[in-house]
Amino acid sequence: MSVGLANKNTSALKSWHLQTVVLNKHSNVSLTQSLLTQDQLDQAKLSKKEAVVGQTPVAAKGKNLTTVSSQFIGLNKDEYIFKNLPITRGRKPKKDTEIVVDDAFAQKGYHLGDKIKLNDTARKYKIVGWVHHNEINIAPVVYGSLKTWKKLRNVMPTVAASGIVSKRNFKPGIKGTKSYQQQTFIQKLPGYRDQNMTFMMMIVFLFVISLIIVAVFLYILTMQKLPNFAVLRAQGIPSKVLVSATIWQSLILVLSGVVLGLAGLALSAKFMPAAVPMSFSPAIWIPASLGMVIMGLIGAVLPAVKIARLNPLSGIGG
Amino acid sequence: MSVLTLTNVSKTYEHGEASVQALRNVNFSIDAGEVILIMGPSGAGKSTFLTTAGGLLSPTSGTVQVEGQEISRLSPKERDALRLHKIGFILQAYNLVPYLTISEQFKLVDHVKKEGNLSADDLQALLAQLDISNLVNKYPQELSGGQQQRAAIARALYADPAVIMADEPTASLDSERVAEVGQLFKDLAKQRQKAIILVTHDDRLTKYADHIYDMLDGRLTKRQ
Ligand SMILES: Nc1ncnc2c1ncn2[C@@H]1O[C@H](COP(=O)(O)OP(=O)(O)OP(=O)(O)O)[C@@H](O)[C@H]1O
Ligand SMILES: [Mg+2]
Repeated sequence: MSVGLANKNTSALKSWHLQTVVLNKHSNVSLTQSLLTQDQLDQAKLSKKEAVVGQTPVAAKGKNLTTVSSQFIGLNKDEYIFKNLPITRGRKPKKDTEIVVDDAFAQKGYHLGDKIKLNDTARKYKIVGWVHHNEINIAPVVYGSLKTWKKLRNVMPTVAASGIVSKRNFKPGIKGTKSYQQQTFIQKLPGYRDQNMTFMMMIVFLFVISLIIVAVFLYILTMQKLPNFAVLRAQGIPSKVLVSATIWQSLILVLSGVVLGLAGLALSAKFMPAAVPMSFSPAIWIPASLGMVIMGLIGAVLPAVKIARLNPLSGIGG
Repeated sequence: MSVLTLTNVSKTYEHGEASVQALRNVNFSIDAGEVILIMGPSGAGKSTFLTTAGGLLSPTSGTVQVEGQEISRLSPKERDALRLHKIGFILQAYNLVPYLTISEQFKLVDHVKKEGNLSADDLQALLAQLDISNLVNKYPQELSGGQQQRAAIARALYADPAVIMADEPTASLDSERVAEVGQLFKDLAKQRQKAIILVTHDDRLTKYADHIYDMLDGRLTKRQ
């Protein structure tokens, strides 16, 4: 889920292969808040690796359909983002009144050819194509023309775009603008940091809790067997054998837990509605599973110490 | 030949201010093929004697030798090995591991002591002698007290130790079984050349013993 939500913030940026972004100096590193003038764009000397982008939040609504809070992205037809637009069905827009939308619209009942209003203006736009998992700021993206963006954003005639996106390290150094690296830009996406911190905390707590559970479980198990262990020690069974048996037991316990957990994960992934932002990449569950196993081993330390220190005499009694 | 020898052994339990002298200048020795009974009232020091002789407890002074090896000179690991190889404990409580079947208890011994255990045939013969051949796939709690006791005896003998030490081995047995177990110990000592030390309150065992010692206030005296 953590990864899923983070993706919702950035999947569109990923599809643009964004490396740097040039914004208005006073935009608080936000594409939606940034405005660049035609003058500034002219000075920038754009190559094929740059694209001018206009972003603004819009409420999209088709007739008899639910409103979708989305992010409008205005593009120039002759620049790389538009050219490489990852259309999954339909086609790229040809006219200013045509748009390409994220799959999220399909889930809400929208179809190819539907006409929708953006921000309740009289003008209608026709869906001519789909993109898959293209989101920014946890909202599905609507791709259209920069001209449309200007209308939606209601900008002064001198203003030409929100920013310049580049897939290389691009620093034009134009007055009033600033160039930001991908990491800086993503961290500044509204809520991105807080959200990730929250999830990090949740994950850390989950690990701590499972550590406590495993440790307590093993401790109780060991405590119950302590008299038996003491007898075995008295009979000359080395404590090494008992300790390694306990650690193996803990490993088996945690491993079966992890396997069950992953099976549950796979199942829930299968039945989870597509609207829930979840992502199950091996990059996540492999370290998480390893982490769990390590927690299990740490949990086994206390019982192991207990056994190693066990006095064989205590098994004899009276 | 003496298998186990205690020479001038004293043991004092220190508990802050208080100290209890549980063994006072004990001298003892047992040969292979002998059954020796240690008798005495509660608190006399019998268990202390057994655990000291078995290398679980270090004496405050004096020496304990098993087959000529002085226990106090051994490292903890060597002491584990000595208990595993030379001494068979038959304890009253928690004698058998409750979550292992009887045959698994033997496998556990195989796991830690790879050599010198009874062969499969010898084990079969021993189990038959103990009348528990048909119980090997049961868990200890499925056995009666007497059957458990005999399984514990088999477990102690499986590693083929030189010395067998039993603490109250007949506590849960009726007179008929006491006679059987007493005879069994006597047979084991004679047939397998084991040195067997039995700590007990039970007068019914005296006729199976070669010697009887009395323990009183930490002093051990041989009964004439
Ligand atoms: N761990 C210990 N710490 C202090 N004192 C102990 C300890 N173990 C035994 N004692 C004391 O040493 C003395 C001898 O105890 P021991 O257990 O050897 O007696 P016992 O003959 O086995 O008695 P019983 O027939 O009741 O089992 C007793 O006075 C006992 O209180
Ligand atoms: Mg006792």
